[in-house]
Amino acid sequence: MTMAAAELLKELSKDDRLNRIAISDTGFIFDPQTGQSFTLNRTGLVTLSILKRGSSIDETAEQLSHQYGITEETAVNSVEAFLLQLGRYL
Amino acid sequence: MLPQNHFQKEKNWRNWNVAVTGMNASPESPGPGFAVARSIREHRHFDGRIIGLGYDVLDAGLYSKTICNGGYLIPYPSAGRDALLERIYQVHALEGLDAIIPCLDAELQNFIGIQSELKQLGIKMLIPTREQFTLRAKDHLAEFCKSIGVDAPETKTITNPLFFDECEAQGWQYPLMVKGIFYDATVARNAYEAKSIFAKLVQSWGYPVLVQKIIPGDEYDLAAIGDGHCRMLGAVMMRKRGLTDKGKAWAGVTVVDEAIGKVAEKIIRGLAWRGPLEVEVMKGYDGKIYLIEINPRFPAWIYLSHAVGRNLPAALLQTLANEPELDLSPPKPGTFFIRHAQELIVELAEFESLFVNGGISTPIQEEPLEVSLQEHDKFKAAS
Repeated sequence: MTMAAAELLKELSKDDRLNRIAISDTGFIFDPQTGQSFTLNRTGLVTLSILKRGSSIDETAEQLSHQYGITEETAVNSVEAFLLQLGRYL
Repeated sequence: MLPQNHFQKEKNWRNWNVAVTGMNASPESPGPGFAVARSIREHRHFDGRIIGLGYDVLDAGLYSKTICNGGYLIPYPSAGRDALLERIYQVHALEGLDAIIPCLDAELQNFIGIQSELKQLGIKMLIPTREQFTLRAKDHLAEFCKSIGVDAPETKTITNPLFFDECEAQGWQYPLMVKGIFYDATVARNAYEAKSIFAKLVQSWGYPVLVQKIIPGDEYDLAAIGDGHCRMLGAVMMRKRGLTDKGKAWAGVTVVDEAIGKVAEKIIRGLAWRGPLEVEVMKGYDGKIYLIEINPRFPAWIYLSHAVGRNLPAALLQTLANEPELDLSPPKPGTFFIRHAQELIVELAEFESLFVNGGISTPIQEEPLEVSLQEHDKFKAAS
């Protein structure tokens, strides 16, 4: 696991920030703190929903691995890449 | 003969006669007055009269029959406090004013100067003292920020445009923000641009001109009311989503950011601010919040406060009326505004009345205004 992604998740979880992000079923995301809005594809939406529940990177990757039939290593890499990209929008 | 209190009677803020200035509404940089008047008019409990006060016969808000019951021209701020007072006496004699909401920076000094005379007439205003007004002025801002522990971009007051030829050697790298003492701020990318902006600003607003280092980050605005006892009432925060050529927001979205709220509270506490204000901050990519400006009035986007159930212009009237509880909903992020230009039709007789007599009085149109928030919610629930 890269430190950058773990640190970012810690930062985003601070003050309940991640949990306050509004998610729509359409993939439309709105951050009430910054006013930023953007869209996620289906996989991104599932990933963010799991992270919002307070899951760690490993726990999120494990669930994605089961759901999409991919190796845990691939799932961890994907979650980290997703988090780094998410950090640029929040 | 002065109109001594002959209109004054015990009235509720809901049926006050309220005068609002700043009714200029040019699309690229509208004054806040029209938005203030619209917010009050659409408040579900307001049933009074709104009188627009403007400086030019082309100030669109003066003619808006759905918002204002009348409109009057007042003398430009450069004419001084006595000229303003004389004109307010005349308008008061015709309209019986209960409150005035000044909405432009440049006129505030004069309104501060006539506050005691207006009070004797029973006309209320929630405005800062001269000292508060001066402390938050652009040329004193850096000093004030330091005193309350708030970050601010480095700012320099200049009167000689030759500064722009030598500034890079003194650590002032382009691009730089060049600002008028009252209004207008433009980014200068080199000395040539900076000197041209300097000349325009001096022509419009006089000396001095301010130069500010640019902070890379995102801009946020907060509107609120200070009660004069260090308390902030009803903050509404907005992130700009679209800017005009003049750097004014033509689109924005409400946000809720505790850190920005805390900066605004510090400012209001530090000044014991009395009246409406707009706090402009830059949230730097370094994570710090930098105070860019404190405007001593409501912003032009204040109608957004009505849209999120925190109608600040109406809250100001309630504060003036010493209402124990303000009618404010909890902060609500995610509501957008997108400003658009619209032609207001003016009949020749109306234009003539303002042009020749300096005033126009119109019965408010009976057609329904925009649905109130409550009605809107009911409608949504029913459909």
